[in-house]
Amino acid sequence: MSGRSDEAGRVRSAMGPRVWAVALNTFREAVRNRVLYVLALFAVGLMAFSVVLGELSMHEEIRVIKDLGLFGISFVGVVIALFLGVNLLSKELDRKTVYFVIPKPLRRFEFLLGKYLGQVLTLTVLVTLMAAILAIFVLVQGGSHGVVMVRAEVLVLVELCLLTAVAMLFSSFSSPYLSAMFTGALWVIGRNRAELLAFATGKKLGGTPLGTVLEACADVVPDFHALYVSGSQLPGGDTVVSVHESFVSWGYVAEASLYGLLYAAACLVGAMVLFARRDLV
Amino acid sequence: MAVLHVSDLRKTFTRGFLRRRTEALRGITLTVERGEIFGFLGPNGAGKTTTIKILMGLIFPSGGKAEVLGLRAGDPAAKARVGYLPENPYFYDYLSVRELLDMVGRLHGLPAATRRRRGDALVERVGLSHAADRPLRSFSKGMLQRAGLAQALIGEPELVVLDEPMSGLDPVGRKEVRDLVLELREQGTTVFFCTHILADASALCDRVGILVRGRLRDVGSQAELLDPRLLGVDVVWQAPADAVDGLRRFEGQHREAAEGHLLSVADLDQADAFVRALLQAGGRLLQLQPHRQSLEALLMSEVERPDDDPGGEGPPGGAADGREARR
Repeated sequence: MSGRSDEAGRVRSAMGPRVWAVALNTFREAVRNRVLYVLALFAVGLMAFSVVLGELSMHEEIRVIKDLGLFGISFVGVVIALFLGVNLLSKELDRKTVYFVIPKPLRRFEFLLGKYLGQVLTLTVLVTLMAAILAIFVLVQGGSHGVVMVRAEVLVLVELCLLTAVAMLFSSFSSPYLSAMFTGALWVIGRNRAELLAFATGKKLGGTPLGTVLEACADVVPDFHALYVSGSQLPGGDTVVSVHESFVSWGYVAEASLYGLLYAAACLVGAMVLFARRDLV
Repeated sequence: MAVLHVSDLRKTFTRGFLRRRTEALRGITLTVERGEIFGFLGPNGAGKTTTIKILMGLIFPSGGKAEVLGLRAGDPAAKARVGYLPENPYFYDYLSVRELLDMVGRLHGLPAATRRRRGDALVERVGLSHAADRPLRSFSKGMLQRAGLAQALIGEPELVVLDEPMSGLDPVGRKEVRDLVLELREQGTTVFFCTHILADASALCDRVGILVRGRLRDVGSQAELLDPRLLGVDVVWQAPADAVDGLRRFEGQHREAAEGHLLSVADLDQADAFVRALLQAGGRLLQLQPHRQSLEALLMSEVERPDDDPGGEGPPGGAADGREARR
């Protein structure tokens, strides 16, 4: 009996290394499948666009490069997060690698957590390197990247972590195609949540059953807009925030990040509950 | 002590939009004792892999109980003491076998030095030293099977579960796996494996279980399950040309074989009489092969037996153990 409880104790205490083993493997897979090659594409694209638009923008090269760079980091990040996120689980099932991993001394939620953390690690490396490339471009053009851009980039990374968790939730019970569609649709709605809310409470729909339903939807969908704020007006504010003039404070970044990470945690818990009882046939 | 115990184990799959139900396991009861090699036999679709997937925590039973090393099947504490090789194993193909073993070692909570030491020893043991740092995507099926065996053993398991371990292996590889299985038993490891290759089961297993259409039909040692009665004797012989015609008039079925002439007779008395006549005529006895019921014949008779047939003649000494098992 004591042997059994020792074994159970060892399995309980070793959760960290097991999750890390799965995370490390997920990161290794992304690197070996040349996901980070998009960095070269990003750098070349940024260089080409900044040269062209810099010429057209009459001495506003730095502004253009920063706007374009931030958009590029977000766009490339969203595409990668969506593509990798919906495939995190389905690829394991399609390629049947799950049949050899799950029988190892590993709980199913640890496997999911490891996969998620591996993807977060991949996205962190990706965003950091893209931000470094952007900083070099800005520096070469005679500007400075600055802490404001870092705040915007941190928010982009949190947005990607949230998007991955949403993708993982959908892929825990549906096919990668459906998961990509659901997650993509939710991202579009989440990015335009303010508009949806304004529409639901506006003159036409305000107070109607449809307006109430849309308002409830706006309350439930993840608020991706709160994590990509440059060039938009925040609720309650009357000025447009931008990385060039007045941007959000570290306090806002912390608050929005907490919201994003808590939402991501809720999605992960949902995915874990669904995956825990799934037959891996 | 029972290493594996399943009791009235049932599994029904529900598939498709119309929720069509397929009964994969219909109440099987089975116990595997410590230190034995147990062969789980049956045709395709009998439920062997379904049983193994339940034991490994990949799918959940619809009814009944499944215990591994005294713990609920799928419990991580039980999985820590089990090594598993899936059927047609698929691994992360961007890893090398060394990296694969390191990853599995991490999942077992092994320290880095132990992972390295055991990894190197296992790579050597399964004959993959020459390809230890190559990505698995460049491996042949047989090499993947060897990598699969290595990852199953890195945790130094008390129980090894092998689903079709000989699949994809050439004769040399099959012999090496057979030797490995016997070596594991010598070390006190219990081996539970399922296979289509009945010659391997016959050569290796202390006990076998025969599963047909989700029901366990027979469990026991080969001595208990197989009919000891003689079914016939084959005699392969050569003789001088002038004696052949006379010898071919001997009672029995005469055919030509690659090595010489072949006579099939019903019992040993007839075989003895023929051999005496052969030697008197100056001929040579090349081979004498008595035939008894084989595992293959037993399996075929079980496959042909309808599910509602209680068992026909049955093997001698067969007592019920599970719901339908003879032992």
